[in-house]
Parts: sequence; structure tokens; C-alpha cells
Amino acid sequence: MGDTKKKWFSLNLNRSKSDASCSCGKNETEGNCESKDGYSQVLDVDMSRRSAFKKMTAGLLIGAGAVSSSCSVTKSDDGKEMSQIEWDEYFKGNYKLMTDEDKTNTVDRLTRSYELRTGKSLSMSDKDAEEDVLFGYAFNISKCQGYMDCVNACVEENNQDRDSQMQYIRIHEMKDGKGFNFEEADDNYYHEVPAAGHFYMGTQCFHCDNPPCVEVCPVQATWKEKDGIVVIDYDWCVGCRYCMAACPYDGRRFNWKTPQVPEEEVNKNQHYLGNRLRKKGVMEKCTFCIQRTREGQNPACVEACPTGARTFGNLLDPQSNIRWILDNKKVFRLKEDLGTEPKFWYYMD
Amino acid sequence: MIQMTTKIIGKVMAIALCVSVLSCKGDHEHKYHTIKDKIEAETVSYSGDLSSDVYNETTKTVPVMEEDGTFLIPDRKSQMTSFNCTECHSEPLKSLKEQQVGKKAHWDIKLVHADVKTMNCATCHTGNDMDNLHSLTDQQIDFNYSYKLCSQCHQREFKDWKGGAHGKQLGGWAPPRVSNTCVNCHNPHTPAFEKRWPVRYNTEKVKERK
Repeated sequence: MGDTKKKWFSLNLNRSKSDASCSCGKNETEGNCESKDGYSQVLDVDMSRRSAFKKMTAGLLIGAGAVSSSCSVTKSDDGKEMSQIEWDEYFKGNYKLMTDEDKTNTVDRLTRSYELRTGKSLSMSDKDAEEDVLFGYAFNISKCQGYMDCVNACVEENNQDRDSQMQYIRIHEMKDGKGFNFEEADDNYYHEVPAAGHFYMGTQCFHCDNPPCVEVCPVQATWKEKDGIVVIDYDWCVGCRYCMAACPYDGRRFNWKTPQVPEEEVNKNQHYLGNRLRKKGVMEKCTFCIQRTREGQNPACVEACPTGARTFGNLLDPQSNIRWILDNKKVFRLKEDLGTEPKFWYYMD
Repeated sequence: MIQMTTKIIGKVMAIALCVSVLSCKGDHEHKYHTIKDKIEAETVSYSGDLSSDVYNETTKTVPVMEEDGTFLIPDRKSQMTSFNCTECHSEPLKSLKEQQVGKKAHWDIKLVHADVKTMNCATCHTGNDMDNLHSLTDQQIDFNYSYKLCSQCHQREFKDWKGGAHGKQLGGWAPPRVSNTCVNCHNPHTPAFEKRWPVRYNTEKVKERK
């Protein structure tokens, strides 16, 4: 790490012709390419003079804040620690490229920062994907009655903004005999359910095996994990919403405002890639409740469903319920012809 | 001159072809044509550390052994408020009926399950052995294994339930599998789900966008 120890002290803009040919993210096979830390990811990029100045200004604003507060005699220790955390968080790297130590550090910083701001503690995990696990989901259209218990559970579990109606799951009320006609589906029903002559189906992020949202992300802030979950690094997302446009399933959501969750309702069991508190201007979506499923538990929607319409499991395990469904029921997926390979199957009794 | 041009065009096209073939990216990423191929090729019984046991600690369970495999269902008898039934049903139903003392028991039970031609109380309950149920052929069935009663008619649901397509898995996806049994979701006397209001308004976002 000799060369990267410089961190932010030497900018070395546009002059370093070091062996940066390795495009990171695909460097597992090429052993000699050392992973870049956040400072070098931010600063070691070839850039024009103009964009360099832009970035320097943005960085300086944070830096000035940090310097002024760390040198200030009037500011409390907590304030100084907070500035240090903000400084380190600003320069941290893409989660995908972090070493295990980096991951622990950022999780510690985020936990500490929450503690400093609210006085409450939370637990945040950075648990990696399990071996021999590929997550998949099945939805029984015959069983869903449109009760919406799943949506409530999801909002509470995943710390979604309470007043902008941020919801990962949509339940569509469809007329019998019309097929899957999303144009004519009622997504805003409010009457006793199930309504006669209708059926209900839910959509959310399908965690495609060939996800178009990942392809279009200009900063690689979203990717598919080894266990098949498509995740977002909320701190690397620039909020361009290309992924939202690329998703054929309306699976992604954007934070138009700073999400507000009452302190007493915050779910303190969090994962870096999952339900940790988001900020304004970043994407979010269903993560198959990564904070639960990586611990062996079912997602909140599956647990909340009173009809058993939702099944979650390990696609690779021949003994799992989801495998039995795929092998024995007549399953289908939405827009299969697009080749996105969603890991979310529908079936009927 | 024309020959030269066609040669050049040919060369350019050949190079373009090479480039497009070579740049076919992510060979290991796109090893499989479909997700189904991937699942089949990488199938392996889960042998990791994760377990659903922690999430089902408070649920007392009994094992189900059917030909499709074994799993657990919640114990029923410990959940029934007035089990054993023989605490009251010490004599045959007929003599109890004749006594007519005090408030009627089970006054709130309505049988809305098939019709009277097909079923009545005695189709499942055994008059002279109230602590057990019985099958159509008078074989004794334990209250914990009441699914054996249901499956006499509901064969297709039974098959789906054993496999995991009907009903609900409790706790987690990780083994061991604990699934609700029929009576955990369906009241055996009125098995249909009732109409009710959704627990929340659906999102207005989609409406706004239109």
C-alpha cells in the first residue's frame, strides 16, 4: 500500500501513469492488482482540469469543515469525532472494492455516527454471501388476497420513509379474464378484499440474474452479490436514476427527500447493503431483507403474509420449498422474453 | 481502385467481427444461458451454519414423515385451550345432550365446511373417544396430525403442502423446515378466509404519475 499511503495529501492529478489499467471489480483473477482504497478511487482518476477543480472544491468544502472543527477550541470532542467520521466517510471507497477491514471500519463509523447524533445504538452487519446459496422467490397468485400485510412489514423492517409513501412492494388488483394487464390494474384500491371478480399479484425487485439496472449504472454503485441479491451502495450512488429507467419491472425507488423515520420506529438490526438509513438523492429497493436472509431468516414480507402466498428460499438446495415449486408447479416470470432472468416466479394452485 | 476499397471494407469488417467476438464479456459471469441451467448445474444440499432453529425456539413442534421428505409442524395439542377433551367429555355425547345443564359448550362453533350431506361433527370427531379424531374408515387420528383428516378430501392441497407450495414456512429459509399445518391457518369448522379491509392504503405514487 506504499503508494496509496499518500491519501489526500498529494493529489497527483493527471500525472500518474501507474499501472491503473486494471479496471477494478474484475480483478479477482489478476492477483497483482492491489485494490484501491477510497482516497485513490476518488483521486486517482484521470480527469480534465475543469472536473478536477470541481471535485477539489467539493472536497475542500468538507475538508474546510473538518479542519475548522478539528482545530477549533470551542468545539466539543464529539463534534470533532463527528467531523473526522464525515471526512473519512466522504473519502471511503466503493463497497465492492473494500477489504474486510475497510468494511468493518465504515460500519463502525456509521454506527458511531448514529450514536453521536441520536444517543441510541444500533447493530449494523457487513456479512457476506453464504456459500452454496442462491436466493429465489415464488408468489402464488391464487393465494394473494390483497390484504397488504406484506407492505406494512416491509416498510417497518426496511426503515422506509414514512411520509413519501416509499414502498418496495406493489400489490396490483387485476380483473379476472383480463390477464396481466398492468394498464388496467388498480394499484390504489381501498375496499374490502378480495373483491369479487378480481385477483391480486405483488411486484417488487425481482433480483434478476442478468440485471439491466446493474449494466447501466455509471459508477458501479449497484451490483449482484454472489447469493443473487442485487444491492446498492447508498454511499456510492450518485442518484442519476439510470437504473430506475432501465428496470423493466418498476422495481427501484428514488429518495426525492431525506427519508424520515421516527427514532422509536427505526429497525436497529441493519445491514450496510440493506435497511440502514438512506439519504436524499439515492436509489433504494427491495434487498430480499438482506439483514434477515443472510442470517437464515425469511424476508419480512414472507413472514407477514397471512395467506402463505409468498415463498422464499435457496434455489440451489434440492430440499428447499422453492425448488419443489419450480420443479412441480407451472411457474412463469414477468417479461421473460427480455432475458433479464428474474429470480421471482409466479404460480397458481 | 474499387478492388482496393472492397479489400479495405473487408478488412474493417473482419476486424470488427474479431473485436465483437473478443469483447463478449464476462465469460465466467455469463457461463449459463438461463437461470434454470445455473440452478441445475450448481445444485448442492445446503450444509452451511445457518439454521432456522433460533427463529422457531418458542414453537413446540412434531415431525411429519411423508414420502416426499420430513419436516416439522407446530404441536397442536399444547395450543388447544381445553385439551384433553375428556376433561368434560367423560360420558358419551348422547347422555351429555340429555342433561342440558348450564350454558351450552361450543356454542360459538359454526360448521361452514362442505354441506350437511357430506360432513357433520362426527365425520371427524369420535363420539366415544373425544381426545382423538378418526378417518373415513374409522382409523384413529391424533389431533397433532389432523392434516391426515384434511388430506382425505383435499388431496391436491395436501400434495402442494408437503412440497412447500401451499401453506407457510415459519422462521427462516434455512433448514430445518417448520411449516404451518392446515389448522394453523384454516379454522377447520370455517376453513375459508374472510373478506377484510387491507391493513393500509396502497401507494398513490402510481396514480400521481399518470
